[in-house]
Amino acid sequence: MPVKRYKSVVSLLAFVAPAFIIYSLFLLIPTIGGMYYSFTDWNGLNRNYSFIGLGNFIEALREDPDFVHALLFTLKYVLFMIVLQNVFALVLAVFIETKTRTKGFFRTIFFMPNMISTIISAFMWTFVFSQVLPQLAEKTAASFLDQLWIGDPSVSFYSIIIVSLWNGVGYMMIIYLAALQGVPQSLKEAAVIDGASPFQTFRKVTMPMITHAVTICFFLTLNGAFKVFEVVYGLTGGGPGRSTQVITMNIYEEAFSNNFRYGYASAKSVILFVIILLFTFIQIGVMKRKEVEA
Amino acid sequence: MRLRKGANLFITLFLCIGAVLSFFPIYLAIINSVKTQGEMFASFTALPTKLHFENYSQAFSKINLLSSTLNSVIVSVIGIGGIIFCAALAGYKLSRTSGRLSAAIFSLFIASMLVPFHSIMIPLTRMAKALHVSGSTYGLAVIYIGLGVNMAIFLYHGFVKSIPRELEEAARIDGCGEFQTFFRIIFPLLLPITVTIAILDFLWIWNDFLLPLLMLTDSTKYTLILSTNTLFGEYNKEWSLILAALVLTALPVIVIYGFFQKFIMQGIAEGAIKG
Repeated sequence: MPVKRYKSVVSLLAFVAPAFIIYSLFLLIPTIGGMYYSFTDWNGLNRNYSFIGLGNFIEALREDPDFVHALLFTLKYVLFMIVLQNVFALVLAVFIETKTRTKGFFRTIFFMPNMISTIISAFMWTFVFSQVLPQLAEKTAASFLDQLWIGDPSVSFYSIIIVSLWNGVGYMMIIYLAALQGVPQSLKEAAVIDGASPFQTFRKVTMPMITHAVTICFFLTLNGAFKVFEVVYGLTGGGPGRSTQVITMNIYEEAFSNNFRYGYASAKSVILFVIILLFTFIQIGVMKRKEVEA
Repeated sequence: MRLRKGANLFITLFLCIGAVLSFFPIYLAIINSVKTQGEMFASFTALPTKLHFENYSQAFSKINLLSSTLNSVIVSVIGIGGIIFCAALAGYKLSRTSGRLSAAIFSLFIASMLVPFHSIMIPLTRMAKALHVSGSTYGLAVIYIGLGVNMAIFLYHGFVKSIPRELEEAARIDGCGEFQTFFRIIFPLLLPITVTIAILDFLWIWNDFLLPLLMLTDSTKYTLILSTNTLFGEYNKEWSLILAALVLTALPVIVIYGFFQKFIMQGIAEGAIKG
């Protein structure tokens, strides 16, 4: 018996080793390393550094207005994205689903922006916001187009949202479409025969059947939105000043372009990790309960 | 579902407006990339009167199109190949082995799926330097394997459950070793989920920006996305040149999308529902 067990452990390890080694080097150890550095004042260069306990965390949350601003800005972005991205994606999916003949066409068009790299999308939209829209405003006298789309922090928040939606809605739409396809046609027909309006059918039959897709899409949006970087980097660069800076940019700047405070930046990234974990667990907890009810 | 005429019209209208908005930036980038600077500033929305491809030839050389595309291909192919190889082995075995060790390793892989890249980018750059994989196209690909295996293991782990064990037992009786059984019998059966993983990872690796930005310093090693980013910084106001570069960068993925549309959408839906 022990020999057999020993053999099975060896065979398990043989199969898992390639993945585990490479994963340890580039994901596991860096994760642990980041947590370790977050309690130090390491600057990334010196051999000597000291443990400062929770010092970095306290400094980030209490004495770093830029970080707190980035944190709140990101939270606001996450909130907007969760609502808007899912509403748009679901509406598009439901609408497209009703079009049997042109379904493929619309699906293709709405998903296409998702194929384009986020940073490239941001550059394309920089062109639209900085050049095309002002000119259009001038030519058509549509004054609402004449905004400082990128230069005015209160407006550029919405520019960032627009580009993120343009880029991301298609992905969620595909997931919703797949879920909608899984709803048995007979159920919908039965509801119609019972006299339900299309809206009632959607609310009472379709919606409960696709809650799992809603959970997934909320999770994906939440996770993605907290990690937003490219859109902001390409569109506003976090500016003007640091007004549109998001958490990830703040961390990046702290570690790579500003003052090389690796320990401090690591603490900030641990804060980001904890926030994402917290929100994810809350979200999944709430949604799972809903799924059971349905 | 039957809808009233009014509702149907509203839906059509909504979708059409949405489609126009969705395509508008791509359209603008394409038409303006073949205009001269002067023609462009006269009107951004008008169709070009004459096609000027000099923007393209200029962009072509400024972003080192051939070499940076080749770099992107190398990174994607090695990255995806490595992820599939490592993850299929591990995912299969972890799924077939019960016991505490197997469960612990699997949980470790899965738990790390929640770690955001930005939380590890600092120690990761240190690690890459220490292992001498930073600054190289191949090194970058290897890092992608490390970052991507957990998701792939998760998908393989779930898929393997649908494959009957009898197949392996039969192969074993016929004298196949464990690895032989895996490569000859199991791996081909994993094809559907392998395709899904390849697609999801392709979209991720090909379009990724931050990791190459952190890892690569030598511009001859740049990926396509990174080259275009540099161009954007350097030629800030030369829109016709930049737009040509953007179109050149976006084109390969859109062409691939055209060919593999069905698989891509299926892959995303499957990846999400199983993930």
